[in-house]
Amino acid sequence: MRLPAFVRLTVRNILVNTDPGTMFFMLGLPAFYLLVLGIMFQGIITSVNIGGLSISYTTFLAPGIVGMQAFTAGSIGGGMLWADRRWGMFEQLLVGPFRRTDYLLGIVFLSVIFAVGGSLIMIGLAALIKGATFSMGVISYLYMITALVAGTIFFSSMFLVISIKAKSMQAYNTITILLFFFLDFASTAFYPITKLTPLPLRIISSLNPLSYVANIVRDSMVYGISYTTSIDMLIVVAIMLILFAISLKLYSNVRTGV
Amino acid sequence: MPSFASHAVDVIDLVKSYDGRKNAVDGISFHVEKGEIYGFLGKNGAGKSTTIKVLTTLIPPTSGKAIIDGLDVVRNAIQIRRRIGVVQQEESFDFATVDRNFDIYAMLWEVPADVAARRKEELIELFNLGEVRKRRAFELSGGQKKRLQVAREFIHDMKVLFLDEPTVGMDPVMRRSVLKFVKQKATDEGISIMFTTQILEEADLICDRIAIIDNGKIVAEGTSSELKQKFGTMRKLTIGLSEIPDRKFIEEFPAVIRNVGDISHYSITGKEVLILGQNLGRKVKSIIDQISEMDVDIEHINLDTPTLDDVFLEVVGQ
Repeated sequence: MRLPAFVRLTVRNILVNTDPGTMFFMLGLPAFYLLVLGIMFQGIITSVNIGGLSISYTTFLAPGIVGMQAFTAGSIGGGMLWADRRWGMFEQLLVGPFRRTDYLLGIVFLSVIFAVGGSLIMIGLAALIKGATFSMGVISYLYMITALVAGTIFFSSMFLVISIKAKSMQAYNTITILLFFFLDFASTAFYPITKLTPLPLRIISSLNPLSYVANIVRDSMVYGISYTTSIDMLIVVAIMLILFAISLKLYSNVRTGV
Repeated sequence: MPSFASHAVDVIDLVKSYDGRKNAVDGISFHVEKGEIYGFLGKNGAGKSTTIKVLTTLIPPTSGKAIIDGLDVVRNAIQIRRRIGVVQQEESFDFATVDRNFDIYAMLWEVPADVAARRKEELIELFNLGEVRKRRAFELSGGQKKRLQVAREFIHDMKVLFLDEPTVGMDPVMRRSVLKFVKQKATDEGISIMFTTQILEEADLICDRIAIIDNGKIVAEGTSSELKQKFGTMRKLTIGLSEIPDRKFIEEFPAVIRNVGDISHYSITGKEVLILGQNLGRKVKSIIDQISEMDVDIEHINLDTPTLDDVFLEVVGQ
């Protein structure tokens, strides 16, 4: 059976990224957040109360960790362009039986597969934690998957832009590490934003795309879909489309062979 | 006049400029016959790799025409990519083990699993990669990476192969073995090969025809023996001095060269002076006399017919 070019590139991207280091980054680190930090913090944060509904900290944290999969998978996907340029495979693939579009689709599909796969594993792990309770229906699953896919494409696009613009490995690494700390910890993935949250952090969190993805996943898994979930979804899809268009424009101008 | 389809590669008045001012490739024309190994010689920055990048559809030409297996590089890029193999000058490998690099490449090129498995084993043995097959590519030495890069390309079928300085970093034994394999591929499977190198001995060994490119232009073309014959009146004069010449000698020697005239290249390395030029036999006495007047003892002189290296130096100069 002949596989389309972008599928072969997706398979290649998966094979290249299923090394222990990437797997730890993709699954080990969030599993650690969930199983160690979550359970430890649950000892001191007895409950999280939002909108009158009181839930355990692990119930609150798990959807945040699931949402983070969009960010992590997006960074792995978008970072492929950097790695392929660094190791000479970008040009090598472009003199092979592929179009530029195939290469881009390979990255997008890798990211989405990793995000959805990683999320399902995180949901499975969360279900094992005592005190974590979730309730999901078909609509909730659809919202969650849509948010994860849109969020993943947003973050892959962001890392594609960084891959294209970064001039050195040091610059690329510095930017990505800063983004990891900033986006992961200044979002609603780990903590609820309340009236007690300092205003600057509230503003940063409300500007952080990961907050919107985490909120949609949390609504899907815990609070239920509401009007605000749909607004969050519109925002995620809109910023995804904008950044994807920007990355596409920059990507089409990436020079080869110079 | 043969049609484009009868040649593996046809290049007509090809120009490539990166900045719109200077042409990296400056109106070159040549063709590669089917099953032929065509050598492309030149110094760094002469335009070899740029030509290869245009022919492999990586960058568009500024003007002119390039046809690969009857297909235009601008209009039929994807069809061309399905028919060619490319070993680029820069290293390229997947962030995976040597074994997996072969497997991934075979999958990308849709090589049937049984064929891929057989070829992989043959290539790993031939390119002496058995000991490192479980190691990740980025852990390999420069020479091993290059061997992987070249070997991997032969996992798939192709009509035209572009080898851009493929033996860089390889030891002499491996280099010879790889060249022999390349030659055999061209002979047995009719693959047309365009081969760039700076090691002229390599071109002499495997190329059916050779072009010398300098400043983006082809300055000489022919078989190895044709090139040597063409430059038949050229001679190489080697003068062995009794001691390493002092600064005064080095400063005054260019004047000797100017006095003699028609010298295409000269160099002073240690105790040896190398001079290349036309009809040097008639000029030996004058050169020796002038050197002797500079109070330098000569231990030996040697006048040779040109090697391909000498032809290259003559054509490209300094």
